[in-house]
Amino acid sequence: MNISLKANQKWLGKNRQFKFNFLSIGLYILTLLLCVTMLFPLFWVITTALKGNNDIYKVPPEFFPKEFHWENFPKSWEAINFGRLFVNTFIITMLNVVGQVASSMLVGYALARIRFPGRKIWFYLFIGSMMLPSIVTLIPMFRLYLNLNWYDSWLPLWVPAFFGNPFYIFLARQYYLSIPYDLDESAKLDGANHFAIFTRIMIPLTTPVWLTMGILTFQSTWNDYLNPLIYLRSEETWTLALGVATFKSSFAGVSNTQWNLYMAANLLYMLPPIIVFFVAQRYFMAGLGSLATRSQK
Amino acid sequence: MSDSSHTLSQEGTIPKRARSKFNRSEAWWGYLFILPSIVGLFVFVLYPLATSVYLALTKWDGLNEPVFVGFKNFDYMFSKDPAFWPSLKATLIFTLLNVPVTVGAGLLLAVLLNRKMPGIRFFRTILYLPTILPLVAVMGLWKFMYQPQFGIINSILQTLHLPTSNWLSDETMAIPSIVIISLWGVGSTMIIFLAGLQAVPQELYEAARIDGAGTIRLFWNITIPMISPILFLQVVPQMIVTLQAFIQPRLLTEGGPNNATNFLMYNIYSKGFGSLGSFPDLGYATALMWILFFLIMFVTFFIFRFSNFWVYSDNRVD
Repeated sequence: MNISLKANQKWLGKNRQFKFNFLSIGLYILTLLLCVTMLFPLFWVITTALKGNNDIYKVPPEFFPKEFHWENFPKSWEAINFGRLFVNTFIITMLNVVGQVASSMLVGYALARIRFPGRKIWFYLFIGSMMLPSIVTLIPMFRLYLNLNWYDSWLPLWVPAFFGNPFYIFLARQYYLSIPYDLDESAKLDGANHFAIFTRIMIPLTTPVWLTMGILTFQSTWNDYLNPLIYLRSEETWTLALGVATFKSSFAGVSNTQWNLYMAANLLYMLPPIIVFFVAQRYFMAGLGSLATRSQK
Repeated sequence: MSDSSHTLSQEGTIPKRARSKFNRSEAWWGYLFILPSIVGLFVFVLYPLATSVYLALTKWDGLNEPVFVGFKNFDYMFSKDPAFWPSLKATLIFTLLNVPVTVGAGLLLAVLLNRKMPGIRFFRTILYLPTILPLVAVMGLWKFMYQPQFGIINSILQTLHLPTSNWLSDETMAIPSIVIISLWGVGSTMIIFLAGLQAVPQELYEAARIDGAGTIRLFWNITIPMISPILFLQVVPQMIVTLQAFIQPRLLTEGGPNNATNFLMYNIYSKGFGSLGSFPDLGYATALMWILFFLIMFVTFFIFRFSNFWVYSDNRVD
């Protein structure tokens, strides 16, 4: 699929060169304007984060800060105990990435490449559970964790990750199905069992899938707000999402939010997903596209 | 699905004896590998689903044991709860506005960017960038930009001599304001439409152009039908996500003004986990959850049921 997509793009490129006519130039300017508009909010976070306490209330606002208040970053860092929350969020996120990717790849492998009785039925059951919105289980799970004494701990936030994600299982299975079966056959003749085939042959062959899964899990866990909000009570267990969201209340004495510090905290919180995005961007954009077209078949 | 073709080709290589029966060690490996999901299915899906039915019929404050109250929760919901109907209405209005606008904008953007121009990869990246940002940060940022007195949006509108608004604190503008925030994240639908557009055979366009079709006709009569499966694939999850919108009311409006953005999911949260001045009732919240669940199921079923009217299906075997 990846290959055919690329071939397709090449083919498109040959036939549709950029033409210099009014329509093309008009559309080009439109695209530029759209990009500027889309980038503006991000630009605004950065400018605001660097402004002084009084400059943020100026009407009309200044587009560039008169003087750069770099001290806003350490200040907002302290205000939400950023270091601690960063470590918390990082640990929870990594556990989720490892758990979801490992379990989903394993289950997807079995469903696609091991012949065992009932595999079709289990596949449909797992996929069926994807159709069920997770919200219905929210409060009963809350009750279960409460009874297990897991409330106010990280356990409810990462333990479920190790039991497979239906959507990822689906993606993994579809991808495994496109890998030639001769590979397993010859490995089996050499005496390899399924675990060896999975770890030595399949993991290197499925890099785009698990990389995409890993990035998606990283993003969704890093950005998750509802689950930490429900389960984490004590501030020292909080994730960054909670810390940033409650920024206002950390200045309880002051009636107005210190927007410059708030935006600085926001920026610090946004940075890791942005970095991950740019590092993994090539895989990610291609991966998403090919997974989307693959899964609709 | 290419599953059947693979099992067929696989069967060709397997000796006759083995074909009738599954290999025992294979079965052992298979179940060992899918064990996490089987446990997950029971512990994280079926068990909570079953208890959810019971919890919906109880009164439960989260501290003491739930007390069975029969259908009192639903009775209260439909006839007495002052927040229920407004919150249902807000959810539906938001969904009816948000889904067509974001999916439509994603499609238009994909069409715009599906051409050769200098820096196209860079443009696509920029348009996709906002979708990777944490929603919590996005909400904080827009809340600041929407500030009626010193926010940048009203300042820009003022300099251009355009009417300003109270945005999130205005009853009629609150939902459109949230839709504008969703539009900022339109890149995620755009990227999937782009993949779909690149799979549309160019011969179709060329043939139609020879027949004298204009750009708009090409869009309606070729692009839309050809990517309708992807369009469909976009509408359903967008719908499901939008019906469960929670962060927006929680961080921007607290359900206000006057219940205008008191979406069901936020209503459930404030009933179950307590907002200021209300006593948590997780039993009642579970009952509300079931309403949201049936709403999602109904909408999904409805779209699926009528999809064959507008989704073009390609029956070629490839």
